[in-house]
Amino acid sequence: MPPVPHKDDLESTWSFLEAGIESVMLNLDAGIDMKTYMGLYTAVHNFCTSQKAVSSGQGLQAQRGAHLLGEELYKLLGEYLSRHLAEVYKQSQSHTEEGLLGFYIREWYRYTTAAKYVNHLFRYLNRHWVKREIDEGKKNVFDVYTLHLVKWKEDFFENVHEKVMDAVLNLIEKQRNGETIEQSQIKSIVDSFVSLGLDENDSSKSTLDVYRTYFQKPFIAATKTYYENESRQFVAENSVVEYMKKAEARLDEEKSRVGLYLHPDVTKSLTDTCLDVLVTAHSTLLRDEFQILLDNERQEDLARMYRLLSRIKEGLDPLRTTFENHVRRAGLAAVERVASDGDNFEPKLYVDALLQVHTRYQNLVDDAFAGESEFVRSLDNACREFVNRNHICKVSSSKSPELLSKYTDSLLKKGSKSAEESELEEMLLQVMTVFKYIEDKDVFQKFYTKSLAKRLVHTSSVSDDAETSMISKLKEACGYEYTNKLQRMFQDIQISKDLNNNYKDWQDKVLDDDDRKRLADAQFQILGNGFWPLNAPTTPFLAPPEIVKTAERFQKFYFDKHSGRRLSWLWQLCKGEIKANYIKNAKVPYTFQVSTYQMGILLLFNETDTLSYTDIEKATTLAPEILDPNLSILLKAKVLIASPEGAKPEPSTTFTLNYNFKNKKIKVNLNIQIKSEQKVETEDTHKTIEEDRKLLLQSAIVRIMKSRKKMKHVQLVQEVIQQVKSRFPPKIPDIKKNIEALMEKDYIERMDGDEISYIA
Amino acid sequence: MSSGTITLTSSDEVDITVDRAVAERSVLIKNMLEDLGDSGEAIPIPNVNEAVLKKVIAWCEQHKNDPASANDDDDNRRKTTDIDEWDQKFMQVDQEMLFEIILAANYLDIKALLDVGCKTVANMIKGKSPEEIRKTFNIQNDFTPEEEDQIRRENEWAEDR
Repeated sequence: MPPVPHKDDLESTWSFLEAGIESVMLNLDAGIDMKTYMGLYTAVHNFCTSQKAVSSGQGLQAQRGAHLLGEELYKLLGEYLSRHLAEVYKQSQSHTEEGLLGFYIREWYRYTTAAKYVNHLFRYLNRHWVKREIDEGKKNVFDVYTLHLVKWKEDFFENVHEKVMDAVLNLIEKQRNGETIEQSQIKSIVDSFVSLGLDENDSSKSTLDVYRTYFQKPFIAATKTYYENESRQFVAENSVVEYMKKAEARLDEEKSRVGLYLHPDVTKSLTDTCLDVLVTAHSTLLRDEFQILLDNERQEDLARMYRLLSRIKEGLDPLRTTFENHVRRAGLAAVERVASDGDNFEPKLYVDALLQVHTRYQNLVDDAFAGESEFVRSLDNACREFVNRNHICKVSSSKSPELLSKYTDSLLKKGSKSAEESELEEMLLQVMTVFKYIEDKDVFQKFYTKSLAKRLVHTSSVSDDAETSMISKLKEACGYEYTNKLQRMFQDIQISKDLNNNYKDWQDKVLDDDDRKRLADAQFQILGNGFWPLNAPTTPFLAPPEIVKTAERFQKFYFDKHSGRRLSWLWQLCKGEIKANYIKNAKVPYTFQVSTYQMGILLLFNETDTLSYTDIEKATTLAPEILDPNLSILLKAKVLIASPEGAKPEPSTTFTLNYNFKNKKIKVNLNIQIKSEQKVETEDTHKTIEEDRKLLLQSAIVRIMKSRKKMKHVQLVQEVIQQVKSRFPPKIPDIKKNIEALMEKDYIERMDGDEISYIA
Repeated sequence: MSSGTITLTSSDEVDITVDRAVAERSVLIKNMLEDLGDSGEAIPIPNVNEAVLKKVIAWCEQHKNDPASANDDDDNRRKTTDIDEWDQKFMQVDQEMLFEIILAANYLDIKALLDVGCKTVANMIKGKSPEEIRKTFNIQNDFTPEEEDQIRRENEWAEDR
């Protein structure tokens, strides 16, 4: 080591420094001692503080502060680096591919390590001359470390980056082809490229520009080409299902590639490129497979397709339409299977068919399509379609709500295969699933009200809890108004229970033993007139005296309590039990469960054993259409015997009490609902629906007009649709018809310009 | 970073042993130890003699626990001429020593000490007429009267009237 040169002598200072830098650059492994280190630092310091600087920079520009020396050193250092890099470049030319990468990385490491040292050795230059230059806004002056990077980029990188990148891309392609490569090489190259990005305005900051231009761009282009070729070839030789697996695997692989050795900045464009080439480019092919996968219920493959297509723009939209159509067809087919055995299927069969289709595709949406809301919507659309417009509904659009209501009735009625409580709740929830899709909710309401009325009157509900649960579900779905009547009916029954207790107490007080003996034991239900879907009896009926007396007694009690009320007896809904004491061969007398009408007929035989048809007709005043079927039941059960033998109930027939009646059961139920009655009732219900809808439309129109006073016709129609669509889908001509009707009744009138106004 | 002590050799060949943490107030020494590692070798300080080096080390001892101030954003500290009490006492030395300390701080890259030194000088100038300043620093007036006139005119705006 020569001694520290004289501080004023540039030439000897530089040759001293150059020797030092050279050994740092090329021979750092051999180490440098502290003396050399300090010598080099001191040489730079001394040169920059030499007196020459003060004298040469003199003048009257003193306000800028002292002139700082160092420019010459800076320039010479730059020149030295250029010379060094030219040599490195020359050596690089004998390397290719991975060899070149190894060379680049080695030289880069050596160079940047040296740069750190030199930067420290030239720190005095950095602190003064360089800082002043940068502060004064000079471009192209950098701190010594950055100068190294700039030189590397200009004198070496610019010459080799293409060759280096080719080698990198070849290496990545090898890995994509399944070979094992040395990933750390690529990682080092990426780091080097990133380091070379300098912010023009502030060299202490770095940008990703160099990396993006020289690495990312060619890398993305190569990726694109690679997967274009691969996917084209793969698709030609394999099934779509296989291709989807491949594509998914490739997407995962590229994602992990970023973590392994690329800069995270590339993630988005890499993913986008892969999706473009692997998914978007083949999206038609994938979508064409969708129907096939649906048909074969390939859930896993469907899920895969969903995952792939959900990642590209509008990738799923065509699938939704296909899915919706598919579900609708499945629903229609299921309904057709139910209908194939004729009209006499159980409502349960129908509802189960609907539910089955819904459940199957609900599960598919959840499992394969991640429960995505748009697919849920498609499912809902499809279900609404096949629930409301299917083969069975062709006869009458309100068939679905009717059947659903009947099914619900079968669930809530005692005696049917009573389900466990939790099971029942589950089934009611399923009913609500179908109910959600029903458009004619008013029809359901109608049938449900009727069936609830029957369950309550005949005390045939499984449980009050189940009834309440169902009502609250409906209330939740459709609001208070929808279930108002149901709740009132329920209340009436509760009140009637209390009333009967009071009546009993009253009887205990008022009646003497004699009275009591002659009275039938009776229960009464008081049903509010407006809330119950019940009609007055269709036939006159002269009740037997025992019943009349009991009824009158109760009426007296009731009117004492509530004066001014009116009671009408719904004989057709009443029932009772009578004991057959006349049958001698029975150890315990038989009990007949009968309707009040049947009771009226049978009690006549207390007086005589044989009666003619006309006798019975006269005594009961029952109309033939009621009398005949009831007599038929009694004949069929062999309680009565017709003569001539086998005759039908008609005016020429006579009836004799059968003393030899036999039955396995002691309690014999004769109170069977007559088939034809059932059918008539259903038809009646459907008929009243049209009438009810008219009223609902009119009340909606009046309600709207009352609050708005004036309104355009079109708007009114729209608003009416809004208001009633939760009950049923109204037809526009119907709305118009009802508007006309209200005009005739002077509720509203037509003004100029298609406007309608309310008449107060 | 290993602690322990290191040896500095002054320009007049005197070895001084100090805590490494103290020596590392000098960015020069800090960088060098970082680059070369502590070989146990004495570190030559060719530009500073024993007397000055000891003085500098004394300052470093006092300030070894100061937080390393972020480099350039301490403009505020530099703009005021306030100096803390210990440093004021420390700087009560003859002028020659004062300038030696400043030069050494600059060489060794001890920014805070350099600032204290420069502030001390600034305080010696503050409020003095040119003549008094010349006297203080023993400077010969090498302006001609014409030159002096011109300078005075140019700087008139700054005068306190």
